[in-house]
Amino acid sequence: MHLDPFELHRPTSVEATVRLAHELHGRFDYLAGGTDLLPNYKMHLNLRPHLIALHDVAELSGHSPTRIGAMERLAAIDEDAAYRTAYPVVGDAVGEIATPLVRASGTVGGNLLVETRCFFFNQSYFWRESLGFCLKADGDKCHVVPQKEVCYATFSGDLAPALMVLGAEVEIAGPTGRRRLPLGDLYDAKGDGIRRLAIAPGELLVAVHLPADAGSWRGRYRKLRVRPSFDFPELGVAVAARFDGARVQGLRIAIGGVEPRPRQFDELTRPLEGGALSDDRVRELAARLERSVRPVHNTFLAPDYRRRMVGVYVRRALADVREVRAG
Amino acid sequence: MASTAPSPYRLLGGRIPYVEGPLKVTGRAEYTDDIKRPGMLVGRLLRSPWPHARLRSIDVREARALPGVFAVLTGERYPTPFGVLPITHDETAIAVGKARYIGDIIAAVAAADERTAEAALARIRVDAEPLPEYLDPRVGLQKVAEPIHARGLAGTNIQKEVVQHFGDVDAAFARAAHTTRVRGVFAGVTHAFTEPLVTVAEATPDGRLTVWSATQVPHYLHRSLSEVLGIPMHRIRVIKPEVGGGFGGKSDPLPHEIVCAALALETGRPVKILVDREDVFYTNHGRHPTQNDVRIATDAEGRILAYDIDALIDGGAWSSFGTVTTYYNGVLAMGPYRVPNFRYKGRRVYTTKPPSGAMRAHGGTNIRYSVEVALDQLAEELGVDPFVLRTRNALPPNSTTVNEFRITSTSFLACLEAARAASGWDATFRKLPYGEGMGLGCGFYISGSNSPIHFTPKMPQSTVHLKVDMDGGIAVHSMQADIGQGSNTLLAAIVAEVLAVDLDRVHVQRVDSDVSPIDLGSYSSRVTFMMGNAARAAAEELKGKLASAAANLLDVAPEELELVPERFRLRADPSRGVSFLEALHRAMEHVGALTATGSYQTRPVGGSFKGARAGTAPAYSFAAYVARVRVDEETGEIAVRKIWAAFDCGRPLNRLAVEGQIEGSIHMGLGQLLGETMSYRGGRLLNPSLLEYKIPMPQQMPEVEILLVGGDDPEGPFGAKEAGEGPLVATLPAVGNALHDAIGVRFHELPITPDRVLRGIDERRKEGRVWKGA
Amino acid sequence: MSSPDRLRFRLNGQPVAVPCEGARILLDLLREDLSLTGTKRGCDLGTCGCCTVLVDGRPTLSCLTLAALMEGRSVDTIEGISPPQGLSPVQRAFVEHGATQCGFCTPGFVVTATALLRDHPHPSREEIVRAISGNLCRCTGYTKIIEAIESAARETV
Repeated sequence: MHLDPFELHRPTSVEATVRLAHELHGRFDYLAGGTDLLPNYKMHLNLRPHLIALHDVAELSGHSPTRIGAMERLAAIDEDAAYRTAYPVVGDAVGEIATPLVRASGTVGGNLLVETRCFFFNQSYFWRESLGFCLKADGDKCHVVPQKEVCYATFSGDLAPALMVLGAEVEIAGPTGRRRLPLGDLYDAKGDGIRRLAIAPGELLVAVHLPADAGSWRGRYRKLRVRPSFDFPELGVAVAARFDGARVQGLRIAIGGVEPRPRQFDELTRPLEGGALSDDRVRELAARLERSVRPVHNTFLAPDYRRRMVGVYVRRALADVREVRAG
Repeated sequence: MASTAPSPYRLLGGRIPYVEGPLKVTGRAEYTDDIKRPGMLVGRLLRSPWPHARLRSIDVREARALPGVFAVLTGERYPTPFGVLPITHDETAIAVGKARYIGDIIAAVAAADERTAEAALARIRVDAEPLPEYLDPRVGLQKVAEPIHARGLAGTNIQKEVVQHFGDVDAAFARAAHTTRVRGVFAGVTHAFTEPLVTVAEATPDGRLTVWSATQVPHYLHRSLSEVLGIPMHRIRVIKPEVGGGFGGKSDPLPHEIVCAALALETGRPVKILVDREDVFYTNHGRHPTQNDVRIATDAEGRILAYDIDALIDGGAWSSFGTVTTYYNGVLAMGPYRVPNFRYKGRRVYTTKPPSGAMRAHGGTNIRYSVEVALDQLAEELGVDPFVLRTRNALPPNSTTVNEFRITSTSFLACLEAARAASGWDATFRKLPYGEGMGLGCGFYISGSNSPIHFTPKMPQSTVHLKVDMDGGIAVHSMQADIGQGSNTLLAAIVAEVLAVDLDRVHVQRVDSDVSPIDLGSYSSRVTFMMGNAARAAAEELKGKLASAAANLLDVAPEELELVPERFRLRADPSRGVSFLEALHRAMEHVGALTATGSYQTRPVGGSFKGARAGTAPAYSFAAYVARVRVDEETGEIAVRKIWAAFDCGRPLNRLAVEGQIEGSIHMGLGQLLGETMSYRGGRLLNPSLLEYKIPMPQQMPEVEILLVGGDDPEGPFGAKEAGEGPLVATLPAVGNALHDAIGVRFHELPITPDRVLRGIDERRKEGRVWKGA
Repeated sequence: MSSPDRLRFRLNGQPVAVPCEGARILLDLLREDLSLTGTKRGCDLGTCGCCTVLVDGRPTLSCLTLAALMEGRSVDTIEGISPPQGLSPVQRAFVEHGATQCGFCTPGFVVTATALLRDHPHPSREEIVRAISGNLCRCTGYTKIIEAIESAARETV
């Protein structure tokens, strides 16, 4: 399968990249690892005439305990045993992304910004044309929930929930300079499977920053999928907690793989802070989370099953972090 | 037991690395897509976006006018129907008049490069009138407004109906002490070989056509090309390079192969068609979606009195192997047990979906699952151990089934004993905690089809030619198709065994219809048995010629000689002899290179009623598998932890290959059980990709303990029977029955996805039925 | 790209300069333009691993790699990691253990296993399973592939 021709750009600095992005407004995609973009391009999904490859922008690479460059390869994190020990929730998540071969090219920024997915979107041009195109590419209707306004494509990255519960921020560069925002705010709360990001199209994700206290949180990420490799998450649950003796001092839960964006549920976890994380409270929290998500039938597993697994996965992930504390 | 006895043979019975292994591990093995011919064009196929449509007109003028386009073909150019079975030719190379599924080929182009070819496809204007979709085979049982094929039964979409009755089933049920019934529902699954479908064709000015193709059955392709293109077979040369897996999916002559040849004829240039992965899913010919109803009657001790089976089979758009499938879904239930009364009704119905066909353990897999689950259920209802139940019913050796299958060798009882002992069954079954379980599933499969899909039934099913020249190197020719199962290796090993030479003396030649004598290829698990016997016969003939020459040199009678490595010697006086090469050179005097031919033809077996030949085989394989599983009761996830695989393939000739077939079969069986499914929305395949078609990963493979317990088969080469397909069928019911032991739920619908597991657990609990205290 | 016309990189240890447009995929460049057909095309979408090559020593999906990005880098294909005579320890183990059946996935597995044993000469079974979990095999059930890699690891003690 060939790619349609495009013009390939290889800027060498963040500033040059952003400038180029401004000039090419709406007519380009950033190319990072390519493991998500190139399959989509081969399927003729939302092609643009320009690709801006980020491989030569030195500032985007590398990682330290508190910063990961957007172009850092997933394998580099996966192979860093010290990093994974320091942030087990990130280690869990990165180690379960796709396959070793995808992680060898795929990047941290690419996984955070991975295109939302849907059985009716991730198909060839022939397939989509034969059904009638969808809202997210070339068409004007949704085949999952028939209507003309909202796209239900699912956020399918693994890293976002894991980094969110550690309080990560993202560094964004744009034509007017740089800014930082909480990772959760990168995803548009008012958006959908198409309008999914809260940043402007020309802006560039430069790095992810972890706060100084990130290492004091104990976290786990649990991923639901049919096979233990290759598959995108049908559900991803990240939890992080801090304990003061028997009392849970801080508790965060973020969920991906079920809706167009990853979501953190502080409004449900905050009331538990300061108390003991008893089995009853965990059960009640899990049940509330189960009711709070709305998966639709656009992935392999049935939505009612995925929703039911929210409760199971939350309970198990919390049991894991309680055990770590006990240990 | 054969597994512990030392092999009496020098090579056979050992672990023989595949002869082409060094080429494959270095990337030097040549597959069809590796072939590049000077001036080669790219062929691409326009596929139907409609599940069912009348093609009113196809305007190709704009496509043909595009620079770089050499030919555009539509169905009318080569309208001769073809199909793998001579009695059901209902396919055309390119759709004529109607498109019958999403993915059906409606036009083809040859162009200078891929981009031009695709641009040309986009310029073909098709005026089509959508017709009613028929997706549910139940609908097609009645008269329909627009039958998919004119040849459907009396205005319905029924492609084939089989009704068989042996003995008196109603009387057996009337006197039965116990009866049980199950309904199995099976999603379609597909082969998903790693090498996509691909063909290269070239027509040359000498009037000949050469076709290289990834095929399991070069001979049927050869015939189909000749019939559809109207060119005699002697002007067509079919070459089979290495084939990257088939599992039945490359055994039909496929339309893209014929289209590729047609484009080569039209353009006078070499053409390659590489079918991309998505289109491989549409080409399909995989295992049929099936619903089967199985009723079993027994006496009070669980002895089987009768089977009553009804199968409804979703055929997709074409017949393919479907007539055989329709028989197999009944008659392959005849073993490994004695079934004195048998009734079967099978119907295969055309639907407007990608065609189903033959896939590993064709016709025997789904019915085997239902029968074995029903027997497990029966054992439980009767309070009889599942092993005891099977032992009581085992088909004896040298017997005849009620539908007149001739059973010769069977080590089924030895399989049962081996699996029971190795798995620690007696100490474990029903004694594991809730969520863990053990189950038994058994298997039975043909070792080659006795009545092949053959056009001249008096011809042998396999022929092998040998040629040996000055230095004693032996060239072996045969049209058998190595598709990774190791048949080239077996062919070389048999020749080397008989002639007592090292394996590297023997060179199996690439399949090439110009020089390879006919063998019917790789399907129905026929190769070891049939090619093996032919190879043995050829080698014996050559050995006889050499022995005569040696005897002549030594001035003794040939019968006084024995052949040991590199030497003919006197039995009575081993110090007297001549070397292999001396004998060879004497034999070559005045004749030149020595040649020999061996062939194999099954002896006639089976009854004389309509359909009697379906399922007849010169021998059958038998199996007893025990699976150990763990179920996560909260998530419904299944972990298959270990499989004890006791298998009767007669004498295993290459243990490495037999083990590889069993391990690979278990993997493929688990795929169908755990998650592989051709998932449709309407006529549209939802998951035509290796990402969403869930082939199991290495983490999902259980430990496999292989127990080869077969005794020598009287007619198999060196006592061997098949090991390529039979090893799959026992896998599924072993796991299905283990799931019941784990959580008390019977699963009748495949694949058994985690949500189905949870639903099963929920339903059982809702009914208040406790299992193992949970 | 430094030169708009020619892509320069090291291929199997030798410098090469080949014409290459921006949208050219590495797998296509290797197979179609450079006739290195040992690298196989199984799915074209990163879901089978048949096209695995080493890029700067790392196993990489050549079907999802832009050739243009190889400028100045090093690519090794199955042809490059095969010794001029005979077989490498990994290749020998694959042959001896019957880890090839149809062989179409084999070059990808050999490339992956070669890199694994270079970096981790004595991997556990779990590490082997994880390392090969991006390469799909439909024939072997992976059993003999894992055995072959374990055996090759023992041989390199």
